[in-house]
Amino acid sequence: MNRPYKGVAERIYCLQFPIMTPESPWKKGLGWIADHSVFMIILVLLIIPVLMPYEALGTQMIIWGLLALGYNILYGYTGLLSFGHAAYFGLGAYGTGIVLIRTNCSLLAGIGAGVLVAGIGAVLIGFLCLRRRGIYFALLTMAFAQMLYFTANIWESLTGGEPGLRNIPHPPLEIPGLFSLNIYTPLRFYYFVFAFVALSLLILNRILESPFGKVLQGIRENEKRARAVGYHTGRVKWLSFILSGTFSGLAGALHTLYINFVGLEQLYWETSGKILLMTLLGGPGTFFGPFIGAGVFLYLEDIISGFTKYWMIVLGPIFVLCVLFFPQGIWGTIRDFADRFRRVPSPRG
Amino acid sequence: MEILKTENLTKKFGGLTAVGNVNFRLQKGEIQSIIGPNGAGKSTLFKLINGELKPTQGRIWFQGEDITGLEQNVISRRGIATSYQITNIFPKLTALENVRLAVQSRRTSFNLWSKADSHRAIREKAEAILAQIGLKNRKESLAAYLSYGEQRHLEIGIALGTDPILLLLDEPTSGLSPVETRTTVNLIREISRGLSVILVEHKMKVVMDLSDKITVLHEGEVIAQGNPREIRADETVRRVYLGGVRE
Repeated sequence: MNRPYKGVAERIYCLQFPIMTPESPWKKGLGWIADHSVFMIILVLLIIPVLMPYEALGTQMIIWGLLALGYNILYGYTGLLSFGHAAYFGLGAYGTGIVLIRTNCSLLAGIGAGVLVAGIGAVLIGFLCLRRRGIYFALLTMAFAQMLYFTANIWESLTGGEPGLRNIPHPPLEIPGLFSLNIYTPLRFYYFVFAFVALSLLILNRILESPFGKVLQGIRENEKRARAVGYHTGRVKWLSFILSGTFSGLAGALHTLYINFVGLEQLYWETSGKILLMTLLGGPGTFFGPFIGAGVFLYLEDIISGFTKYWMIVLGPIFVLCVLFFPQGIWGTIRDFADRFRRVPSPRG
Repeated sequence: MEILKTENLTKKFGGLTAVGNVNFRLQKGEIQSIIGPNGAGKSTLFKLINGELKPTQGRIWFQGEDITGLEQNVISRRGIATSYQITNIFPKLTALENVRLAVQSRRTSFNLWSKADSHRAIREKAEAILAQIGLKNRKESLAAYLSYGEQRHLEIGIALGTDPILLLLDEPTSGLSPVETRTTVNLIREISRGLSVILVEHKMKVVMDLSDKITVLHEGEVIAQGNPREIRADETVRRVYLGGVRE
């Protein structure tokens, strides 16, 4: 199979390993893992709280991982660079926060409300932004996110303005009459979030491997040709935008419960940039890349900020080195390596 | 039966008339070539037919229905497919995925929940096309890493994937070696059974070999029409076009 040899890392992979002969049981075992990577990742997520210095860091990682995963539908798969994904993260966060404060609804209804608000936001903003392409599209997404930011800033009665939304209630996870569980210990809360993230991983994996997922990639690769073979690319891109915004909104809703607070910075453009950085670090257009990028980003941030408050100065060069030497991102690089173990050769995963 | 008919088809870009008052007719099952010097309006005519451009004036009928001004994706679904002069594939998808994407556009559009690979009818059709265009052994390769000749065939394969009634081939042999050109001519002859084809091509041997009928465009207007023998004998055509080409 032809493959491109770009970076130093890829040159190292050209070495042949004896365990990779087709009959080797190693190859079979590793091939099975590569073929069932969603389940493997979910298994890894199950033990994350043990691996992390403290559980809350794990929770933070998988929430941002979910956010980057949602972002990647639009950027990595459909090829649309959004610079305003803070909008859906923020809409989900404010939606859940406001509904929990103002109504006496259950936990799941609160999360549902946040997801719904973000989804509706993506329907409207997506429709408008998709009138334009390329850099204009990116700027429009950013403009709408900033509009929401300033709206939230001014509309104090609803959003709490500058200080943010505080004192968000802690409803238990319950089905009335059946059971009620307090999930607000770090470990329990991790597994509560984990359930949503694992479900999202399974759903998104199916969507992106479906015929529709392939159309998204077709549009990323060559929108003109996708239209020429008969796809209504405008509608497909819109649906991609909505899906992306909705999953980002779920991440926002979970984030509200996680820090028990909604702040303006969640809608700020820096948040949009952070999502993009995580995606690039992990590997845009790969399924797990953004998830792993988010994890690595937050882990490094946590470690380095323990030594110095100028953690960005350390993280910056790491980021630059990654982009220079691993343009496929962390997961893209690992995936290419794992492809050598696959039973069925496939250039993607 | 006429499958495609244009009536006074005109496209102007500002003051420039790229296509002027073209009346074009294609019979069902026919291979008709459009020839003419560079800038004669051949590619523009294709773009008007497949919906990429909207005509300034005139109408286009396909299978008796007026398709003037319809969107490109709608026209594609009516059964007109284009194979482009400049290779226009999905580079980072595999050869199989390239063709499968075209095949699936006719059978499932918003299917979010099944595995793309699990639709047997779609996969088999795509694999049959890959075998036909000689890329059976390359199906798992990314399109970007196919050789130029292979990409030219993939280009035709994508067009075939949409189950066309009318196939527009825009210089399918451009940039190919004589050997590759021969393979492509055979391929075109094979796939055109049961299809109607309009071919734009500069290589006169290819045109004369394949065409049932030839239309000569010059500065946006039709200056001659006829079968290969008639066109070869036509004085005007010799002067404006064939005279400059040595075979």
